[in-house]
Amino acid sequence: MNAIKLWYHKLGSPPYFYVFAGYIQPWLWTIAAMLAVAGLYGGLVLAPADYQQGDAFRIIFVHVPAAWMSLFIYGVMAVSAFIAVIWRPKMAEVLAMESAPIGAAFTLIALVTGSLWGRPTWGTYWTWDARLTSELVLLFIYLGVIGLYHAFEDPRQGARAASFLAMVGAVNLPIVHYSVVWWNTLHQGTTVRYFGPSSIAPSMLWPLLAMTFAAKFYYGASLMQRSRVSLLSLERGKDWVADIVRREPTHG
Amino acid sequence: MAAAFRAMLQRDLLLAWRRRGDALLPVLYAVMVATLFPFALGPEHTLLARISGGVVLVTVLLSMLLSLDAVFRGDLEDGALEYLVLAPQPLALLVAARMLAYWLVTALPLIAVAPLLAYMLGLEGPAQPVLLLALLLATPLLALIGSVLTALTVGTRRSGMLLALMLLPLAVPIVIFAAGAVGAAQQGLPWVAPVAWLAAALALAVVLAPLACATALRIALDS
Repeated sequence: MNAIKLWYHKLGSPPYFYVFAGYIQPWLWTIAAMLAVAGLYGGLVLAPADYQQGDAFRIIFVHVPAAWMSLFIYGVMAVSAFIAVIWRPKMAEVLAMESAPIGAAFTLIALVTGSLWGRPTWGTYWTWDARLTSELVLLFIYLGVIGLYHAFEDPRQGARAASFLAMVGAVNLPIVHYSVVWWNTLHQGTTVRYFGPSSIAPSMLWPLLAMTFAAKFYYGASLMQRSRVSLLSLERGKDWVADIVRREPTHG
Repeated sequence: MAAAFRAMLQRDLLLAWRRRGDALLPVLYAVMVATLFPFALGPEHTLLARISGGVVLVTVLLSMLLSLDAVFRGDLEDGALEYLVLAPQPLALLVAARMLAYWLVTALPLIAVAPLLAYMLGLEGPAQPVLLLALLLATPLLALIGSVLTALTVGTRRSGMLLALMLLPLAVPIVIFAAGAVGAAQQGLPWVAPVAWLAAALALAVVLAPLACATALRIALDS
């Protein structure tokens, strides 16, 4: 067994993962914070105002990364859920279940910032545009996964059931998106046009990319933190948790 | 295996027949909900006629949602569900028989009453058979997807609202295509495409849903 494979298998063990996550977590937080500060400064101060939308466009630096993350996290969750249902490693269950609330939060942020952005640019907070509707359905699927996870008395059983739901949702999500697009074109013409993706100036692009990576690292850091807490709770009867509790006296 | 399928179907239908009053409840519920719309929106004929297809579809969806909880509940409470899981026949097959029985008992009466509801709301002419066709394809789809999700919640206590939270997002495409077909027929537009989509989805779900449901039941019962 080579070193990478050994390391991968070690990561599947909760005590090893707990230590590993605790080690990389401060780095992830630091990188996320630095990127976010740089991206926000570049986006809110350095980037020029848009010639059409004025300063209103600046919400893009929060909205677009959040929208991308909402799908990215669903992808990560679906892959971990797939692994959790097929091979049943505990860590895959934990990662899938702890991804869900972060993904739901990003989806909510994308929806709220999108509707705030819609008011000055489209003249309305909400419109039944295909992307908005799909994003809303995505939020509902996230909430369903979280709700199912917490409905079970046994967390492992809940994690497996919710993982299965996440897989079903992953199959359904593209169908929902394309049916909503079809529905939208059937009912009304496209009233909402996003400005072209090609015409973004470099001075606006780099803060956007910085914010995107900040969101990715934030997700990583948050996932590590949530997984550690979840592991302590799930494994509370085990010796390694007792060792940690003995070593780290309560802080108050 | 065919014998097991038939025995399972026969048992479920017999049980439903012995308590045939229960099968009427979803129908009554659908009638009540559909009746509330004119009260809420006013009796204006053109408005009601325009939304009639959608209202009937959503009503049928809600009434199926309310009755879905019962698909595995009885078997879980008397322990028969464990026997089904342990049976030598494939669980997916037995579950498929259960889904078929559920559709026959719950959805068929709803489909029977749906044209009446639609007519009361002002849906007339060529859109009526399209509504019937859309319901004939959409209700088995809902029954199949709904049974998978119900199987997942079998091990939980408070499953009613949770089931709604899980099913409704997944039901969005079904509602869109079924209501889209009815709406297109009302406007005199071609309606075959959405119906064909529904039929395609149903063909896929008939194969996959029993397998998924069997997996979900195993997950929910494994403790």
